[in-house]
Amino acid sequence: MPQEVATPEEDRQQEDQRLLALAQAGDMSAFEALVEAHRDKVFGLALRMTRSEADAAEIAQDTFLAAYQHLKEFRGDAAFGSWVHRIAANHALMRLRHRRVVQAAEDELKGPEFTERGSLADYPERDWSRDAEGKALDAELGLAIQQATDRLPEGYREVFLLKDVEGLSYEQISELTGDSVPAIKSRLHRARLALREAIDQFYNQGSARV
Amino acid sequence: MYTCKDSINLLMDYLDGEMTPEDAQHLKEHLQGCAPCVDFLRTYRATPGLCKRALAKSMPQELSSKLTEFLRSKIKSAS
Repeated sequence: MPQEVATPEEDRQQEDQRLLALAQAGDMSAFEALVEAHRDKVFGLALRMTRSEADAAEIAQDTFLAAYQHLKEFRGDAAFGSWVHRIAANHALMRLRHRRVVQAAEDELKGPEFTERGSLADYPERDWSRDAEGKALDAELGLAIQQATDRLPEGYREVFLLKDVEGLSYEQISELTGDSVPAIKSRLHRARLALREAIDQFYNQGSARV
Repeated sequence: MYTCKDSINLLMDYLDGEMTPEDAQHLKEHLQGCAPCVDFLRTYRATPGLCKRALAKSMPQELSSKLTEFLRSKIKSAS
């Protein structure tokens, strides 16, 4: 009979549980091990959201300090990683709310164009979805995606990052942002369409160059 | 008969598994006769994963050390 092997994710969660119990009992080195295991994810979220390394570093500090201060209240009914992730998302959103930046207009969101009858105006020249699987990401494509993400209007960028990059649920995003789930879904769809369009352009320009 | 536009508007619900049986049937019928929309669906579905890979970031070593120092000083002063 094949033996069931724990996934790296399950291993991580078990190790987190063990470290958490030690940290809750006052073992500082166990808490530092938790920080080390999750700092990249927390920092990455904060940097993607705020686009500022200085802000992201401060959010990581605030997040782990808040986690430490509430460690004894954390019962472990969710994974430690998800918990700190949500704390970080909350801190990042609060910081963005305090920033008044020039917003990209919603009508700048590009999506597919349709004919009057509702057919796709431009047919995709090629299906690049398989190219996207399993191989190292082209640096130029990575840059094109970063730029396209940066061009999204703030509310769309936030929802896309929180759902598709950070993996939060619609309900968690709704709780954090105060927006309704249908509004979140609508923005996410438009953000995905705009990003799909940017990637499609990248691939089509690439094939035009060859 | 659903158009490409109708079908593309349904893609998120389709991927979330949240379509009504009626919409599911209309989408299926459209996709059976529309190769561009099948390609569109595949590339729409691939988009979040590609973006996630493109936007991955690690914390620079210097900032990691600062984070550790910060937490030690705060926790020490609180205890």
